[in-house]
Amino acid sequence: MGTSDDDGRTDAQLLGAVADGARSAMHLLYRRHAPWLVLRLSRRCADPGLVDEVVQDTFVAVWRRPGGYRGTGEVAAWIWGIGVRRLIDGFRRQPARRLPLVDANEPVPSAEEQVLLGVEHGDLAGALNSLSPELRAVVQATVLDGLTTREAGRLLGIPPGTDKTRMMRAKPLLREALV
Amino acid sequence: MTWHADASLLARYAAGSIDDARASSVEAHLVACADCRQAVATTVDTTRLDAIWAEVTDTVDAPRPRLVERFLRRIGVRDHVARLLAATPSLRLSWLLAMTASLVFVAAAASEGSRQPVLFLVVAPLLPVAGVAGAFASAFDPTYELATAAPMSNVRLLLLRAAAVMATTTLLAGLAAFALPVLDWTAAAWLLPSLGLTLASLALATWLTPEAAAGAVAAAWIAVVVASAGAADDRLAAFHAAGQVGCVVAVAVSALVLVRRRAALEVRRAL
Repeated sequence: MGTSDDDGRTDAQLLGAVADGARSAMHLLYRRHAPWLVLRLSRRCADPGLVDEVVQDTFVAVWRRPGGYRGTGEVAAWIWGIGVRRLIDGFRRQPARRLPLVDANEPVPSAEEQVLLGVEHGDLAGALNSLSPELRAVVQATVLDGLTTREAGRLLGIPPGTDKTRMMRAKPLLREALV
Repeated sequence: MTWHADASLLARYAAGSIDDARASSVEAHLVACADCRQAVATTVDTTRLDAIWAEVTDTVDAPRPRLVERFLRRIGVRDHVARLLAATPSLRLSWLLAMTASLVFVAAAASEGSRQPVLFLVVAPLLPVAGVAGAFASAFDPTYELATAAPMSNVRLLLLRAAAVMATTTLLAGLAAFALPVLDWTAAAWLLPSLGLTLASLALATWLTPEAAAGAVAAAWIAVVVASAGAADDRLAAFHAAGQVGCVVAVAVSALVLVRRRAALEVRRAL
Protein backbone atom coordinates (compact mmCIF):
# COMPACT_ATOMS: atom_id res chain seq x y z
CA MET A 1 0.00 0.00 0.00
CA GLY A 2 1.77 3.05 -1.27
CA THR A 3 5.32 2.10 -0.36
CA SER A 4 6.99 1.69 -3.71
CA ASP A 5 9.49 4.56 -3.38
CA ASP A 6 12.56 4.73 -1.14
CA ASP A 7 10.52 5.86 1.82
CA GLY A 8 9.03 2.91 3.71
CA ARG A 9 6.08 4.79 5.13
CA THR A 10 2.53 4.17 3.91
CA ASP A 11 0.35 6.99 2.60
CA ALA A 12 -1.67 6.95 5.82
CA GLN A 13 1.52 7.33 7.88
CA LEU A 14 2.62 10.20 5.66
CA LEU A 15 -0.73 11.91 6.24
CA GLY A 16 -0.15 11.58 9.96
CA ALA A 17 3.25 13.23 9.54
CA VAL A 18 1.66 16.03 7.49
CA ALA A 19 -0.79 16.62 10.33
CA ASP A 20 2.26 17.07 12.60
CA GLY A 21 3.63 19.66 10.18
CA ALA A 22 6.18 17.59 8.24
CA ARG A 23 6.75 19.34 4.93
CA SER A 24 8.87 16.53 3.49
CA ALA A 25 6.04 14.04 4.06
CA MET A 26 3.71 16.34 2.11
CA HIS A 27 6.18 16.55 -0.75
CA LEU A 28 6.48 12.78 -0.85
CA LEU A 29 2.69 12.41 -0.92
CA TYR A 30 2.60 14.89 -3.77
CA ARG A 31 5.22 12.95 -5.73
CA ARG A 32 3.28 9.74 -5.26
CA HIS A 33 -0.17 11.06 -6.09
CA ALA A 34 0.06 14.17 -8.27
CA PRO A 35 1.03 12.36 -11.52
CA TRP A 36 -1.93 9.99 -11.74
CA LEU A 37 -4.23 12.78 -10.58
CA VAL A 38 -3.02 14.95 -13.47
CA LEU A 39 -3.69 12.11 -15.93
CA ARG A 40 -7.07 11.17 -14.54
CA LEU A 41 -8.27 14.78 -14.46
CA SER A 42 -6.96 15.34 -17.99
CA ARG A 43 -9.33 12.64 -19.25
CA ARG A 44 -12.19 14.74 -17.91
CA CYS A 45 -11.00 18.25 -18.69
CA ALA A 46 -9.47 19.43 -21.94
CA ASP A 47 -7.93 22.55 -20.42
CA PRO A 48 -4.49 21.79 -18.91
CA GLY A 49 -4.57 25.11 -17.09
CA LEU A 50 -7.69 24.10 -15.20
CA VAL A 51 -6.23 20.65 -14.50
CA ASP A 52 -3.15 22.29 -12.93
CA GLU A 53 -5.37 24.56 -10.84
CA VAL A 54 -7.44 21.63 -9.62
CA VAL A 55 -4.35 19.56 -8.73
CA GLN A 56 -2.98 22.55 -6.84
CA ASP A 57 -6.26 23.10 -4.95
CA THR A 58 -6.48 19.42 -4.13
CA PHE A 59 -3.03 19.20 -2.55
CA VAL A 60 -3.52 22.48 -0.70
CA ALA A 61 -6.69 20.93 0.75
CA VAL A 62 -4.81 17.73 1.66
CA TRP A 63 -2.07 19.77 3.33
CA ARG A 64 -4.48 21.90 5.34
CA ARG A 65 -6.79 19.12 6.41
CA PRO A 66 -4.98 15.78 6.43
CA GLY A 67 -7.42 14.69 9.14
CA GLY A 68 -10.13 14.56 6.48
CA TYR A 69 -8.84 11.08 5.65
CA ARG A 70 -10.77 8.79 7.97
CA GLY A 71 -8.09 6.10 8.13
CA THR A 72 -9.99 3.51 6.10
CA GLY A 73 -9.69 2.76 2.40
CA GLU A 74 -7.10 3.95 -0.07
CA VAL A 75 -5.57 7.40 0.41
CA ALA A 76 -5.63 7.66 -3.40
CA ALA A 77 -9.42 7.23 -3.41
CA TRP A 78 -9.75 10.00 -0.82
CA ILE A 79 -7.51 12.30 -2.89
CA TRP A 80 -9.53 11.55 -6.03
CA GLY A 81 -12.71 12.41 -4.14
CA ILE A 82 -11.29 15.84 -3.34
CA GLY A 83 -9.90 16.32 -6.84
CA VAL A 84 -13.02 15.46 -8.82
CA ARG A 85 -15.13 17.74 -6.65
CA ARG A 86 -12.68 20.60 -7.15
CA LEU A 87 -12.92 19.94 -10.88
CA ILE A 88 -16.70 20.23 -10.69
CA ASP A 89 -16.27 23.53 -8.83
CA GLY A 90 -13.91 24.67 -11.58
CA PHE A 91 -16.46 23.81 -14.27
CA ARG A 92 -19.13 25.69 -12.35
CA ARG A 93 -16.93 28.80 -12.33
CA GLN A 94 -16.07 28.47 -16.02
CA PRO A 95 -18.57 26.28 -17.87
CA ALA A 96 -16.80 26.98 -21.17
CA ARG A 97 -13.80 24.89 -20.10
CA ARG A 98 -15.71 21.63 -19.84
CA LEU A 99 -14.52 18.77 -22.05
CA PRO A 100 -16.91 18.13 -24.90
CA LEU A 101 -18.53 14.73 -24.38
CA VAL A 102 -17.75 13.50 -27.86
CA ASP A 103 -14.34 14.13 -29.34
CA ALA A 104 -14.81 14.63 -33.04
CA ASN A 105 -11.22 13.63 -33.85
CA GLU A 106 -11.40 10.28 -32.12
CA PRO A 107 -11.86 7.35 -34.53
CA VAL A 108 -15.03 5.69 -33.27
CA PRO A 109 -15.89 2.16 -34.39
CA SER A 110 -19.50 1.81 -35.43
CA ALA A 111 -22.01 1.22 -32.67
CA GLU A 112 -23.31 -1.98 -34.23
CA GLU A 113 -19.83 -3.41 -34.33
CA GLN A 114 -19.33 -2.65 -30.67
CA VAL A 115 -22.66 -4.08 -29.59
CA LEU A 116 -22.01 -7.26 -31.52
CA LEU A 117 -18.57 -7.61 -29.97
CA GLY A 118 -19.98 -6.98 -26.52
CA VAL A 119 -22.74 -9.53 -26.86
CA GLU A 120 -20.42 -12.13 -28.31
CA HIS A 121 -17.81 -11.94 -25.57
CA GLY A 122 -20.11 -10.84 -22.77
CA ASP A 123 -17.35 -8.52 -21.62
CA LEU A 124 -17.89 -5.35 -19.62
CA ALA A 125 -15.56 -3.26 -21.76
CA GLY A 126 -17.45 -4.11 -24.91
CA ALA A 127 -20.76 -3.54 -23.20
CA LEU A 128 -19.64 -0.16 -21.90
CA ASN A 129 -18.22 0.84 -25.25
CA SER A 130 -21.44 -0.10 -26.98
CA LEU A 131 -23.28 2.61 -25.09
CA SER A 132 -23.63 6.01 -26.69
CA PRO A 133 -20.94 8.44 -25.52
CA GLU A 134 -23.51 10.45 -23.54
CA LEU A 135 -24.74 7.37 -21.71
CA ARG A 136 -21.24 6.03 -21.15
CA ALA A 137 -20.15 9.32 -19.60
CA VAL A 138 -22.96 9.10 -17.07
CA VAL A 139 -22.18 5.47 -16.17
CA GLN A 140 -18.54 6.40 -15.78
CA ALA A 141 -19.23 9.39 -13.55
CA THR A 142 -21.71 7.69 -11.27
CA VAL A 143 -20.51 4.08 -11.13
CA LEU A 144 -16.75 4.40 -11.58
CA ASP A 145 -16.02 7.90 -10.24
CA GLY A 146 -18.41 7.46 -7.36
CA LEU A 147 -20.20 10.75 -7.86
CA THR A 148 -23.80 11.44 -6.93
CA THR A 149 -26.15 12.06 -9.86
CA ARG A 150 -26.16 15.77 -8.96
CA GLU A 151 -22.36 15.95 -9.04
CA ALA A 152 -22.19 13.88 -12.21
CA GLY A 153 -24.61 16.32 -13.79
CA ARG A 154 -22.30 19.20 -12.91
CA LEU A 155 -19.24 17.36 -14.18
CA LEU A 156 -20.91 16.61 -17.50
CA GLY A 157 -22.83 19.85 -17.76
CA ILE A 158 -26.30 18.31 -17.86
CA PRO A 159 -29.23 18.83 -15.49
CA PRO A 160 -29.53 16.16 -12.73
CA GLY A 161 -32.90 14.94 -13.97
CA THR A 162 -31.46 14.16 -17.39
CA ASP A 163 -28.61 12.35 -15.74
CA LYS A 164 -30.92 10.01 -13.82
CA THR A 165 -32.95 9.30 -16.95
CA ARG A 166 -29.80 8.45 -18.90
CA MET A 167 -28.62 6.14 -16.12
CA MET A 168 -31.94 4.32 -16.13
CA ARG A 169 -31.65 3.93 -19.88
CA ALA A 170 -28.09 2.60 -19.54
CA LYS A 171 -28.89 -0.21 -17.11
CA PRO A 172 -31.10 -2.38 -19.35
CA LEU A 173 -28.78 -1.73 -22.29
CA LEU A 174 -25.77 -2.90 -20.31
CA ARG A 175 -27.59 -5.92 -18.97
CA GLU A 176 -28.65 -6.85 -22.48
CA ALA A 177 -25.11 -6.50 -23.75
CA LEU A 178 -23.64 -8.61 -20.97
CA VAL A 179 -26.05 -11.54 -21.03
CA MET B 1 -2.02 -7.68 -5.85
CA THR B 2 -1.09 -10.06 -8.63
CA TRP B 3 -2.59 -8.27 -11.62
CA HIS B 4 -0.78 -5.20 -12.94
CA ALA B 5 -1.47 -2.95 -15.86
CA ASP B 6 1.28 -3.59 -18.40
CA ALA B 7 3.57 -0.79 -19.53
CA SER B 8 1.98 -0.34 -22.97
CA LEU B 9 -1.52 -0.11 -21.49
CA LEU B 10 -0.33 2.52 -19.01
CA ALA B 11 1.46 4.42 -21.79
CA ARG B 12 -1.66 4.44 -23.94
CA TYR B 13 -3.74 5.52 -20.94
CA ALA B 14 -1.36 8.40 -20.24
CA ALA B 15 -1.46 9.42 -23.89
CA GLY B 16 -5.26 9.37 -23.81
CA SER B 17 -5.44 6.88 -26.64
CA ILE B 18 -7.53 4.08 -25.14
CA ASP B 19 -11.30 3.82 -24.98
CA ASP B 20 -13.27 4.89 -21.95
CA ALA B 21 -13.98 1.40 -20.66
CA ARG B 22 -10.31 0.41 -20.62
CA ALA B 23 -9.36 3.81 -19.19
CA SER B 24 -11.86 3.30 -16.37
CA SER B 25 -10.39 -0.10 -15.70
CA VAL B 26 -6.89 1.40 -15.47
CA GLU B 27 -8.15 4.17 -13.21
CA ALA B 28 -9.86 1.75 -10.85
CA HIS B 29 -6.62 -0.23 -10.63
CA LEU B 30 -4.44 2.87 -10.09
CA VAL B 31 -6.44 3.79 -7.00
CA ALA B 32 -5.46 0.49 -5.41
CA CYS B 33 -1.94 -0.11 -6.77
CA ALA B 34 1.05 1.98 -5.74
CA ASP B 35 3.38 0.19 -8.18
CA CYS B 36 1.29 1.09 -11.21
CA ARG B 37 0.84 4.63 -9.89
CA GLN B 38 4.60 4.95 -9.82
CA ALA B 39 4.93 3.40 -13.26
CA VAL B 40 2.46 5.86 -14.75
CA ALA B 41 4.09 8.78 -12.92
CA THR B 42 7.08 8.72 -15.26
CA THR B 43 4.85 9.74 -18.18
CA VAL B 44 3.93 13.07 -16.64
CA ASP B 45 6.17 16.07 -17.36
CA THR B 46 8.25 16.77 -14.25
CA THR B 47 8.57 20.52 -14.91
CA ARG B 48 4.78 20.71 -14.93
CA LEU B 49 4.58 18.80 -11.64
CA ASP B 50 7.29 20.98 -10.08
CA ALA B 51 5.44 24.13 -11.15
CA ILE B 52 2.22 22.93 -9.51
CA TRP B 53 4.13 21.96 -6.35
CA ALA B 54 5.63 25.47 -6.19
CA GLU B 55 2.11 26.92 -6.38
CA VAL B 56 0.96 24.55 -3.63
CA THR B 57 3.73 25.62 -1.25
CA ASP B 58 3.16 29.29 -2.08
CA THR B 59 -0.53 28.99 -1.27
CA VAL B 60 0.05 27.14 1.99
CA ASP B 61 2.83 29.50 3.10
CA ALA B 62 0.89 32.68 2.35
CA PRO B 63 -0.82 34.08 5.45
CA ARG B 64 -4.54 33.39 5.32
CA PRO B 65 -6.70 36.50 5.44
CA ARG B 66 -8.53 36.88 8.73
CA LEU B 67 -12.27 36.32 9.05
CA VAL B 68 -13.15 40.03 8.85
CA GLU B 69 -11.03 40.48 5.73
CA ARG B 70 -12.52 37.46 3.97
CA PHE B 71 -16.01 38.69 4.83
CA LEU B 72 -15.25 42.17 3.46
CA ARG B 73 -13.91 40.69 0.22
CA ARG B 74 -16.94 38.46 -0.06
CA ILE B 75 -19.27 41.47 0.08
CA GLY B 76 -17.30 43.19 -2.67
CA VAL B 77 -14.81 45.44 -0.85
CA ARG B 78 -11.60 45.79 -2.86
CA ASP B 79 -8.59 43.81 -1.58
CA HIS B 80 -6.38 46.65 -0.34
CA VAL B 81 -9.26 48.44 1.37
CA ALA B 82 -10.33 45.16 2.97
CA ARG B 83 -6.82 44.57 4.30
CA LEU B 84 -6.56 48.09 5.77
CA LEU B 85 -10.04 47.87 7.29
CA ALA B 86 -9.40 44.43 8.73
CA ALA B 87 -6.26 45.76 10.43
CA THR B 88 -8.37 48.28 12.37
CA PRO B 89 -7.68 47.47 16.05
CA SER B 90 -11.27 48.05 17.13
CA LEU B 91 -12.61 45.72 14.46
CA ARG B 92 -10.81 42.78 16.05
CA LEU B 93 -13.12 40.04 17.16
CA SER B 94 -11.80 40.10 20.75
CA TRP B 95 -12.47 43.82 21.04
CA LEU B 96 -15.96 43.56 19.58
CA LEU B 97 -16.86 40.60 21.79
CA ALA B 98 -15.63 42.35 24.92
CA MET B 99 -17.62 45.49 24.07
CA THR B 100 -20.80 43.57 23.33
CA ALA B 101 -20.47 41.46 26.45
CA SER B 102 -20.11 44.50 28.71
CA LEU B 103 -23.02 46.21 27.01
CA VAL B 104 -25.24 43.14 27.45
CA PHE B 105 -24.37 43.09 31.15
CA VAL B 106 -25.23 46.78 31.46
CA ALA B 107 -28.52 46.20 29.68
CA ALA B 108 -29.36 43.18 31.81
CA ALA B 109 -28.45 45.11 34.96
CA ALA B 110 -31.15 47.64 34.09
CA SER B 111 -33.73 45.15 35.28
CA GLU B 112 -32.14 44.97 38.73
CA GLY B 113 -32.84 48.50 39.95
CA SER B 114 -35.20 50.87 38.23
CA ARG B 115 -37.19 49.92 35.15
CA GLN B 116 -35.44 52.64 33.23
CA PRO B 117 -32.32 51.57 31.32
CA VAL B 118 -30.48 54.82 31.92
CA LEU B 119 -27.07 53.21 32.36
CA PHE B 120 -27.45 51.36 29.06
CA LEU B 121 -28.44 54.58 27.30
CA VAL B 122 -25.40 56.36 28.68
CA VAL B 123 -22.93 53.60 27.80
CA ALA B 124 -24.23 52.46 24.39
CA PRO B 125 -23.38 55.72 22.53
CA LEU B 126 -19.86 55.60 23.99
CA LEU B 127 -19.19 52.24 22.31
CA PRO B 128 -18.65 53.67 18.80
CA VAL B 129 -16.75 56.63 20.29
CA ALA B 130 -14.27 54.25 21.92
CA GLY B 131 -14.17 52.14 18.77
CA VAL B 132 -13.38 55.08 16.52
CA ALA B 133 -10.70 56.34 18.92
CA GLY B 134 -9.22 52.84 18.85
CA ALA B 135 -9.27 52.88 15.06
CA PHE B 136 -7.37 56.18 15.04
CA ALA B 137 -4.85 55.87 17.83
CA SER B 138 -1.42 55.17 16.41
CA ALA B 139 -0.44 53.30 19.59
CA PHE B 140 -2.89 50.47 18.83
CA ASP B 141 -2.54 50.37 15.06
CA PRO B 142 -0.26 47.61 13.75
CA THR B 143 -0.35 49.10 10.24
CA TYR B 144 0.34 52.68 11.37
CA GLU B 145 3.64 53.08 9.50
CA LEU B 146 2.30 51.18 6.51
CA ALA B 147 -0.85 53.25 6.30
CA THR B 148 1.09 56.50 6.61
CA ALA B 149 3.28 55.50 3.69
CA ALA B 150 0.43 54.01 1.62
CA PRO B 151 -0.57 55.82 -1.59
CA MET B 152 -3.97 56.53 -0.09
CA SER B 153 -5.23 59.59 1.72
CA ASN B 154 -4.98 59.16 5.48
CA VAL B 155 -8.23 61.01 5.97
CA ARG B 156 -9.98 58.65 3.61
CA LEU B 157 -8.61 55.65 5.46
CA LEU B 158 -9.57 57.10 8.83
CA LEU B 159 -13.09 57.91 7.72
CA LEU B 160 -13.46 54.48 6.11
CA ARG B 161 -12.37 52.85 9.34
CA ALA B 162 -14.56 55.13 11.42
CA ALA B 163 -17.56 54.25 9.24
CA ALA B 164 -16.85 50.53 9.47
CA VAL B 165 -16.40 50.71 13.25
CA MET B 166 -19.53 52.78 13.68
CA ALA B 167 -21.58 50.41 11.58
CA THR B 168 -20.44 47.30 13.47
CA THR B 169 -20.63 48.80 16.96
CA THR B 170 -24.06 50.28 16.27
CA LEU B 171 -25.23 46.90 15.09
CA LEU B 172 -23.82 45.24 18.22
CA ALA B 173 -25.35 47.87 20.52
CA GLY B 174 -28.63 47.32 18.73
CA LEU B 175 -28.39 43.58 19.41
CA ALA B 176 -27.43 44.22 23.03
CA ALA B 177 -30.56 46.36 23.40
CA PHE B 178 -32.58 43.16 23.22
CA ALA B 179 -31.22 42.28 26.65
CA LEU B 180 -33.12 45.27 28.09
CA PRO B 181 -35.99 44.36 30.40
CA VAL B 182 -38.51 46.54 28.56
CA LEU B 183 -38.41 47.04 24.81
CA ASP B 184 -39.92 50.49 24.17
CA TRP B 185 -38.65 53.74 22.65
CA THR B 186 -35.78 53.85 25.16
CA ALA B 187 -34.21 50.81 23.50
CA ALA B 188 -33.42 52.99 20.47
CA ALA B 189 -32.91 56.35 22.21
CA TRP B 190 -29.13 55.93 22.10
CA LEU B 191 -28.92 55.94 18.31
CA LEU B 192 -28.79 59.68 17.66
CA PRO B 193 -26.56 60.40 20.67
CA SER B 194 -24.26 57.68 19.38
CA LEU B 195 -23.94 59.33 15.98
CA GLY B 196 -23.54 62.81 17.52
CA LEU B 197 -20.89 61.75 20.02
CA THR B 198 -18.86 59.85 17.46
CA LEU B 199 -18.82 62.72 14.99
CA ALA B 200 -18.03 65.16 17.80
CA SER B 201 -15.06 63.05 18.86
CA LEU B 202 -13.87 62.95 15.23
CA ALA B 203 -14.19 66.73 14.96
CA LEU B 204 -12.33 67.22 18.25
CA ALA B 205 -9.61 64.90 16.99
CA THR B 206 -8.64 67.62 14.52
CA TRP B 207 -7.28 69.50 17.57
CA LEU B 208 -6.53 66.79 20.13
CA THR B 209 -5.20 63.24 19.99
CA PRO B 210 -7.97 60.69 19.26
CA GLU B 211 -7.76 59.28 22.79
CA ALA B 212 -8.07 62.73 24.39
CA ALA B 213 -10.92 63.67 22.07
CA ALA B 214 -12.84 60.50 22.96
CA GLY B 215 -12.21 61.07 26.67
CA ALA B 216 -13.39 64.67 26.50
CA VAL B 217 -16.54 63.73 24.60
CA ALA B 218 -17.33 60.92 27.02
CA ALA B 219 -16.86 63.17 30.05
CA ALA B 220 -19.01 65.91 28.50
CA TRP B 221 -21.74 63.39 27.63
CA ILE B 222 -21.93 61.97 31.14
CA ALA B 223 -21.96 65.48 32.62
CA VAL B 224 -24.84 66.53 30.33
CA VAL B 225 -26.92 63.42 31.17
CA VAL B 226 -26.38 63.84 34.93
CA ALA B 227 -27.00 67.60 34.88
CA SER B 228 -30.21 67.40 32.82
CA ALA B 229 -31.48 64.52 34.97
CA GLY B 230 -30.94 66.63 38.09
CA ALA B 231 -32.53 69.75 36.62
CA ALA B 232 -35.66 68.06 35.25
CA ASP B 233 -35.95 65.46 38.02
CA ASP B 234 -36.16 62.77 35.33
CA ARG B 235 -33.37 60.26 34.89
CA LEU B 236 -34.04 60.09 31.15
CA ALA B 237 -34.29 63.85 30.61
CA ALA B 238 -31.37 63.93 28.18
CA PHE B 239 -33.05 61.38 25.89
CA HIS B 240 -36.36 63.22 25.33
CA ALA B 241 -37.13 65.41 22.33
CA ALA B 242 -34.89 68.32 23.32
CA GLY B 243 -31.95 66.01 23.86
CA GLN B 244 -32.48 64.26 20.53
CA VAL B 245 -32.66 67.62 18.73
CA GLY B 246 -29.44 68.59 20.52
CA CYS B 247 -27.85 65.46 19.09
CA VAL B 248 -28.93 66.38 15.57
CA VAL B 249 -27.33 69.80 16.04
CA ALA B 250 -24.16 68.13 17.33
CA VAL B 251 -24.09 65.90 14.23
CA ALA B 252 -24.46 68.91 11.91
CA VAL B 253 -21.84 71.05 13.67
CA SER B 254 -19.35 68.19 13.93
CA ALA B 255 -19.79 67.26 10.28
CA LEU B 256 -19.18 70.85 9.30
CA VAL B 257 -16.04 71.08 11.45
CA LEU B 258 -14.84 67.78 10.07
CA VAL B 259 -15.23 68.90 6.46
CA ARG B 260 -13.53 72.25 7.11
CA ARG B 261 -10.64 70.89 9.15
CA ARG B 262 -10.09 67.49 7.59
CA ALA B 263 -6.59 68.46 6.53
CA ALA B 264 -5.64 68.78 10.22
CA LEU B 265 -6.50 65.10 10.65
CA GLU B 266 -3.99 64.23 7.97
CA VAL B 267 -1.22 66.33 9.53
CA ARG B 268 -1.89 65.09 13.06
CA ARG B 269 -1.68 61.50 12.00
CA ALA B 270 1.46 61.84 9.97
CA LEU B 271 3.29 63.49 12.88
